[in-house]
Amino acid sequence: MNNRSREWWTGFLFILPATILFIAFVYYPFAQSIYYSFTEWDSIRPAKYIGLDNYAYLLEDSKMLRAGMNTLLVTVFGLAIQNPLSLLLAVLLNRSFRTRAFLRTAFYLPVIVSLVVTSIVWGSILQYDGLLNGLLERIGLADWSRDWLGNSHTVFPTIIAMTQWQGLGYCAVIYLAGLQSIPQELYEAAKIDGANAGRRFMHVTLPLLMPAITIVVFLTIIGGLKLFDIPYVMTGGGPGSSSYTITLAIYNAAFRENTYGYAIAAGIVLMIFIMIVTLIQLRITRRREVEI
Amino acid sequence: MDKLLSKRRDRVGLASEVLLILVALLFLYPILYLVLASFKEPGQFYDPLAWPNSFYLGHYEKAFAKVNVMSGFMNTFAISAGSIALIIIVSSMAGYIIARMPHKFFQLLFYFFISGMVIPLQTGMIPIFKMGVALHLIDTRSFMILLYTAGAIPMATFMYAGFTKSVPREIEESASLDGYGRFRTYWLIIFPLLLPATGTLIMLNIYGIWNDLFGPLLYLKDPAKMTLMAQVVQFKANNQSIDYGPIFALCVMATLPLIILFFFTQKYMMRGLIMGSVKG
Repeated sequence: MNNRSREWWTGFLFILPATILFIAFVYYPFAQSIYYSFTEWDSIRPAKYIGLDNYAYLLEDSKMLRAGMNTLLVTVFGLAIQNPLSLLLAVLLNRSFRTRAFLRTAFYLPVIVSLVVTSIVWGSILQYDGLLNGLLERIGLADWSRDWLGNSHTVFPTIIAMTQWQGLGYCAVIYLAGLQSIPQELYEAAKIDGANAGRRFMHVTLPLLMPAITIVVFLTIIGGLKLFDIPYVMTGGGPGSSSYTITLAIYNAAFRENTYGYAIAAGIVLMIFIMIVTLIQLRITRRREVEI
Repeated sequence: MDKLLSKRRDRVGLASEVLLILVALLFLYPILYLVLASFKEPGQFYDPLAWPNSFYLGHYEKAFAKVNVMSGFMNTFAISAGSIALIIIVSSMAGYIIARMPHKFFQLLFYFFISGMVIPLQTGMIPIFKMGVALHLIDTRSFMILLYTAGAIPMATFMYAGFTKSVPREIEESASLDGYGRFRTYWLIIFPLLLPATGTLIMLNIYGIWNDLFGPLLYLKDPAKMTLMAQVVQFKANNQSIDYGPIFALCVMATLPLIILFFFTQKYMMRGLIMGSVKG
């Protein structure tokens, strides 16, 4: 064996474990999924080929459509509210003052506590005889109190609010990192040119923050579209199907109703959707990125 | 005039700082409430502003009586530690080769890993479940470790490849003059130099693995193998008339190790997020 091919084989051995694991647990199951999505399959009896029926049924399934609506709502709210809010927070936290370390920790803590735990705490706070209603009563707003998670009108807005609380710190930290990578000289130069704070933000901060914005928007979209733990623990999707998300609906279709082929088809549609949305997003935000 | 302006700015700064602190306390409140309520006697449990009367441990005793907390902790710890060790080993080897060997095959593999990132877990879960059954790996901690590792490979390989490129080639060349082979060079020289990347990866992965519910929910049915998060959810589901006291106690115990870790590694964690997100 000559030297070069021996080199290649050594490299191959180095990369083999990662490749095997990745094929076994990502690509192989995925390939199987594509096949099963065209079948009627309960995982016990053999799969029966039914063509595109699963995909067609997706459009008639009111539970799935509700789940899709909710999933979109979480994502849109994340982009419209959490995103600018976390940028504002990062700008405020970027100045130097005494309590900065405490504040950063405080805003970040909800991120490291598991969604299971935060869902349980919020579940207890929001239940009918829970803390929030008690507080409202005490300050004379008893009319406002309601069964936040048991009411089909309030349950999903409440869950959205919770996701905002949970993810704000994470986005803020990424923005903070982006802010810190902007050289101070640029601000000084802009100041000398007579740019006020607003213009400095629009013409220096925002353009140079584009890479961070790309990442945060990307993470918000992926996180929103895959939301599972919070509704699973807090409401189980109820009441009715009012707090269903796509991933929860897929989980239930597979493991509660044993309609595996259908669940997989929904998963594949979700994947294609995620791919299209993130590709469009990356195209839009990447184009605005500038180099220093 | 200047003095006046800076005085005004000071006041604005102070006002915004106070406001931020207030918001932060509101923000922290649910977590504070969780910890405090877990020590409150049942009578004051729902009193939102009350400090615990006494250091009441009844909820913890109940939680310990009904849930095998030690086993949950050991399972969670074993799965997290095992996954992270395996992620580090397989990804650093792959990343090193991708950074150092220009051969097309290895570069293609890189894109192969990256493209796999868009496949959501949910599409593969049923075939993975079936595979676990066929290989007699379902309900084992090893299966969870393999799964988490596979999921983390793209990101970790990406980072290790980036870091390897910043290590000067001369170091390896002199090692090879000393008669070191590829493997010894990697293990004794390169791997130690990649320590910052390794630290970052630990920080980026440990919270996700420790806190994960989806994996254990699907692939660990045996109560003896359950992780802390699965135990919490199971315990809540079994409590028909929800008695939040012991559930809160269990939540505190499941979260505490991560909070302690966070306080010790906060600085590296932030740095890790910066490297992992903005520059990765």
